[in-house]
Amino acid sequence: MPSDYDKGAYPEPPRQTPVVDKQTSLPNPALILSKLFYYSVDLPVTTFREAIDSIRDKNRAVYYHQKFRRVPDLTECHKGDYVCYYEAEMQWRRDYKIDQEIVKVIQERMRACQQREGASYQQNCTKEIEQFNEVTRNFQSRYEDLGAYASARKCLMKQKERMMAEAQAQSA
Amino acid sequence: MVGMSVLRSAAAFAARLSPLRSGNTAANLLTRTVPRTDKVAVRWSHGKKTFVIKPSEYYDKRFLRLLQYYILLTGVPVAVVITFVNVFIGEAELAEIPEDYEPEYWEYYKHPITRWVARNFCDSPVKNYEKAMAAIHIEKEKADMRLQHQEVRRQMRMTGDGPWFHLNTVDKELIDNSPKSTPDN
Repeated sequence: MPSDYDKGAYPEPPRQTPVVDKQTSLPNPALILSKLFYYSVDLPVTTFREAIDSIRDKNRAVYYHQKFRRVPDLTECHKGDYVCYYEAEMQWRRDYKIDQEIVKVIQERMRACQQREGASYQQNCTKEIEQFNEVTRNFQSRYEDLGAYASARKCLMKQKERMMAEAQAQSA
Repeated sequence: MVGMSVLRSAAAFAARLSPLRSGNTAANLLTRTVPRTDKVAVRWSHGKKTFVIKPSEYYDKRFLRLLQYYILLTGVPVAVVITFVNVFIGEAELAEIPEDYEPEYWEYYKHPITRWVARNFCDSPVKNYEKAMAAIHIEKEKADMRLQHQEVRRQMRMTGDGPWFHLNTVDKELIDNSPKSTPDN
């Protein structure tokens, strides 16, 4: 079976099943239906899955997560060193993709929290919402409005504008 | 008198038009009785249409049949191959890169068909990266050389002491210095 999700980031809500206090002798229809579901759907599917997995385990292949070395940034390249520019550009593109995925993960956590808490999500999920707001604010300040032809150079210029605005706000 | 002859000739003409119909001879066309159509026995069938009149479905059915055939001709083998690959050679599992091991570029993909395609048909992304960097390096060298060439031309033209920008002068040996060789000429 594939590995389970991160239980720390997506905590399970506390169980709310009440204590069984049976006062009638009639059979419990929920129990009957759950047993029916188990024998008609769950068991065949699980046995099929285990059968296929036993066949696949013989030819199990492995795949890895590629690790890229860090190369000098665009700020650390000499002027006119186009090879350095290219490597910095590729690294910036990879980092852009990583940042997009980070935002997606944080968003997914917030959505999971909202689904878990139900109607009282605004009160109970403040940590996730705060985290999401901060992350999106940072992403926006770094990558917003760069457009479809975003490049490391444009991002650097955006950073320069940001620093200039900050310096002006401080001196003013 | 003339009317009677016209009627009789019309009757003969009608008889000549459909001579085999009974009751259509020239003799009884004028004198026969008209049958009543309101008190006649009408025969209905059992109501179910046994010969339905509609436009031909042959061409549409043939098109759909051929479409199905040509789609399934490659669709079924592809579906069978993909099913067998997914059942017998499963997807890869994520693992940590062991020490001192450099994975091949196709070992970074999960699905076995993607791995196969990457292994047999695609170039390694590292190779593409290095190719791009080599192209950029060559172009950079060309650009630097051209700038240098321009600068050298400028300097040589300006100072005039280099091997370029020589203007051909007359040979020294051909000059006749006799008019200026003595001070009293």
